[in-house]
Amino acid sequence: MGIPAAFRWLSTKYPKIISPVVEENALVMEDGTVVPVDTTQPNPNGEEFDNLYLDMNGIVHPCSHPEDRPAPRDEEEMMIEVFKYTERVVNMVRPRKLLMIAVDGVAPRAKMNQQRSRRFRAAQDAKEKEADKQELIKMLRKEKGSNAKEEPVEEVVKKAFDSNSITPGTPFMDILAQSLRYWCSYKLNTDPAWAKMKVLISDATVPGEGEHKIMNFVRSQRNSPEHDPNTRHVIYGLDADLIMLGLATHEPHFRVLREDVFAQDSKVRMCKLCGQKGHDERNCRGEAKEKEGEFGEKDKALPLKPFIWLHVSVLREYLAIELNISNLPFRWDLERAIDDWVFMCFFVGNDFLPHLPALEIRENGIETLMAIWKDNLAVMGGYVTKDGHVDLDRAQYILSGLAKQEDSIFRRRKEVDDRREAGFKRRKLQQQGNGRGGAQNSPLSGRPRRGAPEANGPPPGMNLFPVASIPKPVITHDMVVNRRAVDQANVANKSAASVLKSQIQGLMAQPQDKPDGDKPDGDKPDGDKPKGDDEPMKEDNPAQTPPSALGKRKAELIEDASSATDATSGTETPIPSSEEGSGDTVRLWEEGYADRYYEQKFKVDAKDIAFRHKVARAYVEGLAWVLMYYFQGCPSWEWFYPYHYAPFAADFVDLSKMDIKFEKGRISRPFEQLMSVLPAASRHSIPEVFHDLMLLEDSPILDFYPEDFDIDLNGKKMSWQGIALLPFIEMPRLLAAMETKAHLLSADDQARNAPGDEVLLISDAHPDLYEDITTHFYSKKQGVPKFKLDPKRSDGLAGEVRKIEGYVPHGSLVYPLERNAMPDVDYDRSLSVSYDMPSSSHTHKSMLLRGLKMPTPALDRSDVEFVRNKGQRGGRSYGGAPLRNSYGGDRGYGNGYGGGGGNNYGSGGN
Amino acid sequence: MALKFPIHMPAHHAGQNEPVKRPKEFACFSYDKDHKFHLDDSSLKWYYPPDIGADLENGYESFIKHDDRVDEHLDSLLKTITNHEQQTGEAIDAHIVTWRGMLTKIMATPFDNDAFEMNATLYRTNLLAGYKFETLSTIPRPWGEISREYIENRDQEIVNNKEQYCSVVRTGFGKSIVCLGGEVDAIWDAKPKTPGEPINWVELKTSAEIRSHNDQFSFDRKLMKYWIQSFLLGVPKIIVGFRTQDGILRNVEEFKTMSIPYDVQRRGKAKWDGNACIKFTSLFLEWLRLNITDEGVWRIKRQRGSTHIELSRVEEV
Ligand SMILES: [Mg+2]
Repeated sequence: MGIPAAFRWLSTKYPKIISPVVEENALVMEDGTVVPVDTTQPNPNGEEFDNLYLDMNGIVHPCSHPEDRPAPRDEEEMMIEVFKYTERVVNMVRPRKLLMIAVDGVAPRAKMNQQRSRRFRAAQDAKEKEADKQELIKMLRKEKGSNAKEEPVEEVVKKAFDSNSITPGTPFMDILAQSLRYWCSYKLNTDPAWAKMKVLISDATVPGEGEHKIMNFVRSQRNSPEHDPNTRHVIYGLDADLIMLGLATHEPHFRVLREDVFAQDSKVRMCKLCGQKGHDERNCRGEAKEKEGEFGEKDKALPLKPFIWLHVSVLREYLAIELNISNLPFRWDLERAIDDWVFMCFFVGNDFLPHLPALEIRENGIETLMAIWKDNLAVMGGYVTKDGHVDLDRAQYILSGLAKQEDSIFRRRKEVDDRREAGFKRRKLQQQGNGRGGAQNSPLSGRPRRGAPEANGPPPGMNLFPVASIPKPVITHDMVVNRRAVDQANVANKSAASVLKSQIQGLMAQPQDKPDGDKPDGDKPDGDKPKGDDEPMKEDNPAQTPPSALGKRKAELIEDASSATDATSGTETPIPSSEEGSGDTVRLWEEGYADRYYEQKFKVDAKDIAFRHKVARAYVEGLAWVLMYYFQGCPSWEWFYPYHYAPFAADFVDLSKMDIKFEKGRISRPFEQLMSVLPAASRHSIPEVFHDLMLLEDSPILDFYPEDFDIDLNGKKMSWQGIALLPFIEMPRLLAAMETKAHLLSADDQARNAPGDEVLLISDAHPDLYEDITTHFYSKKQGVPKFKLDPKRSDGLAGEVRKIEGYVPHGSLVYPLERNAMPDVDYDRSLSVSYDMPSSSHTHKSMLLRGLKMPTPALDRSDVEFVRNKGQRGGRSYGGAPLRNSYGGDRGYGNGYGGGGGNNYGSGGN
Repeated sequence: MALKFPIHMPAHHAGQNEPVKRPKEFACFSYDKDHKFHLDDSSLKWYYPPDIGADLENGYESFIKHDDRVDEHLDSLLKTITNHEQQTGEAIDAHIVTWRGMLTKIMATPFDNDAFEMNATLYRTNLLAGYKFETLSTIPRPWGEISREYIENRDQEIVNNKEQYCSVVRTGFGKSIVCLGGEVDAIWDAKPKTPGEPINWVELKTSAEIRSHNDQFSFDRKLMKYWIQSFLLGVPKIIVGFRTQDGILRNVEEFKTMSIPYDVQRRGKAKWDGNACIKFTSLFLEWLRLNITDEGVWRIKRQRGSTHIELSRVEEV
């Protein structure tokens, strides 16, 4: 879910949903031999799991730009990383029945807008990063004088992997698919823990986002009468909303697995630029590294980042308490209540719609909505959603309830901001009073620095210059790359590079008068205090460094992690909004904000109220689309929200008169998606025949690929939080333009553009199932081309399989990449078939299945009390919104919360 | 002249084990809503739990009750078997063909005094509550193929006990091969692809909630009938809806047929022994086969409290 900090919010509010993963590691003997973990043994987490689903982009992305080591040199190295990471996750979970690997395929149009924005920004960032590098190289040379060797610097600073090629239809995704198939077959051949496990691979050729393909699968199995309702599911992935998807399955034995972004890594940093340890890229000085072994990366078993469980079942327990309402005039149904809650979470953020201006997760937006929901459920006469469908009448209650509070939310936000800023200024003054800049190592500086390496000298092997030996200010990459300074100055719409240049030039020209303040530190611990000098605010916390080429996905994680830091340290590092006004000329806290908003953001006359309602209707369509997408699968591949901004809650009127219907529409082909989401700079991932369309003056669609575009901070502080004002793709025009080139595509390209199938892989050690399939497809009495699996013999898996053309079992398994980092297998004991999920004319129902045994409750009485008490108070800071006065009479439900103005805000938001 | 088979004291049969064959379904038939016969599984129901708090006595006015005074003989069962024999081209090997209900009574004989007369009217003890519970707890297709509306409005469904799914199984007691027909309330998941594999049938029952030792005693006695019925058709799971005195569904509990005799013995309240029931039935069936020597109509009869089961020839009507 596009809610940065959603994960943090959830885990703070519902602490027991998280528990650490117990992981067994391979033993490395003294002679270097490795004893792998025997994962046929019971799971050390005290519970066995049946199915593991991997949202594979959550593995591929981190592997393409790891935090603790240099990026892989080439695709092969990258695949080895992917294998390693996947193996680690599989070993943690030890799924006994099924492993599903889902890579993002072409996405619904509604998602492409976000992808487009991420990728255009990533390209822009990459461009700037590249420019930075050049700048750095140039300056380092200057600094070292003419006799410095030039080669090492260039050799050392590597070209970054273009993460934009992690998009369906690229050659990279082809290699990924082949590699994953090889690896899974290899594991089926060699790992006894895989013998009875079925492997499903849904690669990028299968349309749909990875996690949603997984949800489709879970739903399809649920509809099978042989599905075991006590199946234990684990999904691995990075997005916080996997827990929402988990809830949406109504399978209570569901867990989300992810890296612990809260873990304060004490590990040695490794520079992503030069690949050396002892400093990170912010402090990279481009020194040549000492050669170490063959690949230069004999890492000494870095401590692995720990993993955590997120228990959907525990979240269900919390919600059961928090959402419960007694004396309803209709049956209380927790499953329905949970769906409504998930729906309300969408209001606060999702990947398909900009969030409503009044709802911020940090301001407890979800609680505000929950309070409205609780106060009005009885009056509404039923739940807002049903199996993925919105009841618009009832949605109107929620939005009207929010509208009542909207003005005061904006005013309160401003007050809190102002207060925060005042506090920041005060602290800054205090620091300046304590001595400018160089106070860090002085005994007067308040907080001791945690683990500052200077205390005992730099760690061995670090190429630090003694301060005194530096004749001129040392330029570190940090200065060059840290865009934070730029963002703070709110010059997001100016050329960042030019600001930077002047900054560096200024620095170069500056006399050396700050001996300590800008000294390059070797290894700054996280969460260090801000520097108190006259440099533009620079955050030491690397987690707060704005993401570079990593895009928004990464940014969300960073956001999560940095919030965690705030939470643990008990202080908040405020982001000062700058003096000259953050460019926020809408001034939501002042009357007339709606007029200004529509005039400035939408360029529409303030009197045009009909337009506002039109925007709101499009937004409601969007909410309905998202809900369907989560609960039933994609309702329309073509629908999208056609604005960059959300309406106000007050703009939602007459929803009950709306009639929302979706056409399934046409699923884009991979190249169409690539042309829709990639900037011209990433065209190397697109077949050459289309390049002209992105580049040439006479291209009819050149306007889709702007080199420069504005980012509107829209009241936010960080550039990555802003809105990239990119033109929307007009599909008919794009398709027409591409059509003129289609005949030029090579056969290979055409194959890559075609939709593919899910593949089921099993070992010949799988009892019954292997026999069933081989008898049906490869014996003398071959049957029809489709074979319906018997769940009683497949250990629960329902669906149909088809023979893969040209594939014959028991051939040899060939490693698909060049350098043969992994072996071929002469006699392949695995079996591959195409797989189709069972289709059902009936859609998902948010109900529990018969025979379900609820997980043992995790919350004790004091937890229950705590949640109950908090729940009664929460979300009513702005007066709450019991609507019975305005909506048809007092029926006597609820007991009238709210009334008073918002004066207890801040219990969790700051 | 009537032949007499003595009913021994239960202790006489206790502890002895008799080989029992697992019942295997080899055919089935359905009665539809009008109690019309169909040679298929069209009336098969799937189990899906009812809403707790439902009123089991609601809907009495509309209850479509099968007139069970009509003598059903073995018509449907025999029709189904005949069809099966035509399909396979082979005669079934059963020595005895009967309704499950008949054999249930015989099996219970050592531990109870009830009178019975076979081939007379079908004797049904269920009240509306039982049928209502069935309606509330079943759906006509697997869950995945049923709308939420149907499931949530089962309370409004008209209770109709004319509609039945009957399983026809082959089973064995000692040396006697028996072909049994009996109604099955619901299925848990799906019939297995391979014929003869065990089927996850569900037997649905209602009972007054247990609030005292006495209640537990009567319930444990009841469990004998439940167990026998399910045992005979190979129904592995019995789901009991407990109701209040006002007929409100209080809770639902699942019982594994296999463990019922042990659980009852462990509680030690009601004294009955599953093995004794089986042993008694085996001996009785053997005796029956020995004595029924021609194709005429026979009557098996026990008077209330009698120590004998009588067998006599009946003149054709
Ligand atoms: Mg995804």
